[in-house]
Amino acid sequence: MKKLIQMTINDRAYEVAVEPNKTLADLIRYDLGLTGTKKGCDTGDCGACTVILNGDPVNSCLVLAVQADNAVIETIEGLSTDEGLHPLQQAFVEKGAIQCGFCTPGMILSAKNLLDKNPAPTEAEIREGISGNLCRCTGYQKIFEAIESTRS
Amino acid sequence: MLLPKFEFHEPESIEKALVLKKQFNSGARFLAGGTDLLVYLKKKIVSTDHVISLQRIEGLGEIRENESDLFIGACTTMAAISRHPAVQKRFCALKSGADNMGTHLIRNRATIGGNVCNASPAGDTLPALLVYDAAALVISPDGKRDIPLRDFFKGPGKTDLKNDEILTGFRLPNPPDHSGAHYIQLGKRKSAEINVVNAASFLTIDPGAGNILSVRIALGSVAPTPIRAPEAEAALMGNTAGDDAFNAAAEIARSRDCSPIDDFRGSAAYRRAMVGVLTKRTLAAAFDQARA
Repeated sequence: MKKLIQMTINDRAYEVAVEPNKTLADLIRYDLGLTGTKKGCDTGDCGACTVILNGDPVNSCLVLAVQADNAVIETIEGLSTDEGLHPLQQAFVEKGAIQCGFCTPGMILSAKNLLDKNPAPTEAEIREGISGNLCRCTGYQKIFEAIESTRS
Repeated sequence: MLLPKFEFHEPESIEKALVLKKQFNSGARFLAGGTDLLVYLKKKIVSTDHVISLQRIEGLGEIRENESDLFIGACTTMAAISRHPAVQKRFCALKSGADNMGTHLIRNRATIGGNVCNASPAGDTLPALLVYDAAALVISPDGKRDIPLRDFFKGPGKTDLKNDEILTGFRLPNPPDHSGAHYIQLGKRKSAEINVVNAASFLTIDPGAGNILSVRIALGSVAPTPIRAPEAEAALMGNTAGDDAFNAAAEIARSRDCSPIDDFRGSAAYRRAMVGVLTKRTLAAAFDQARA
């Protein structure tokens, strides 16, 4: 039986009826069309589906949509403004931290969460902060440099 | 991967959760953080017609400091355990286990109750819970019971929980003065790792004479369940704390207290050798804290 849930995603209110076996990742991508959130492994290993749920980054493939009733969610689409890209997005572009781009939304959301909570992370803290996000292209160094360039 | 169809229940009280579980019995599974259950459902390792979420039950997600112990609700996440001041101050080996579990994304969802009920021999918080002498608090329609954690695990993925019971949380007695504890996990990388061997030790010493008043050693990934090391503990009791005693205990733990197997993460021989090393190191670190 479908359940009616409410949530706020990127400051916009949504009310949707969802099947209990639908994950938050599938709801965000297929029902709401926010395809910036990627699905990689679907088992919580790769971090491509990272969203910020009630202030904490999580694997949205391991959250049921019904569990996110009344949640406040931030996806990659919520980062840029009328003025342009978020500083982290800009840094990823400038430092060449993007190759295929599949891990980038999750990577940036993990990095944003890290910097929001700890504006001046050490090298180890940066590496730990993105350790749940796998990248098969870059070898992580350019991603690390992009995040490092935006810390205060 | 699609999740199979199931009915979703979200009781707001333990009583309602117990009624639902009794009604659906083995056809229902409890959902806490979901980081294990949803993977098992997707991979068809488990199947269920009813998922009963425990997340909206008040009190299951809280940590409470009592006069003589710490209560940790079963639905407390690894991240919440790690940042709680009482855990940081008095239960640092548990913080260390919680910090090393999965990745930061998993730790924001995964719960301590889930880690315990999943009953992996390699579970990250389990050695620490064992050495802090935690009790699992369980409720059923018939009443409540406390299960000492060392009696909780019955095999890989198997626990002492009965079909109609719910694990509500854990009680960890406050360590006495002049105590220390330490946890070490050994893997091939720093994150998203399943342990090759993990170990924790807890010591209380007499600050005057320096002898050991109480000791607990727990080992993971070297038996069908996380285990205590009774022979090594017995060898230490009453002795003077120090490298000689720790080396002797490590040798006993290595040779007599564990039963590791070969698998793709490591050989039995390597695991056995590492039991010795980790036992010695965790004891030495616990001792440093105890005399600090």
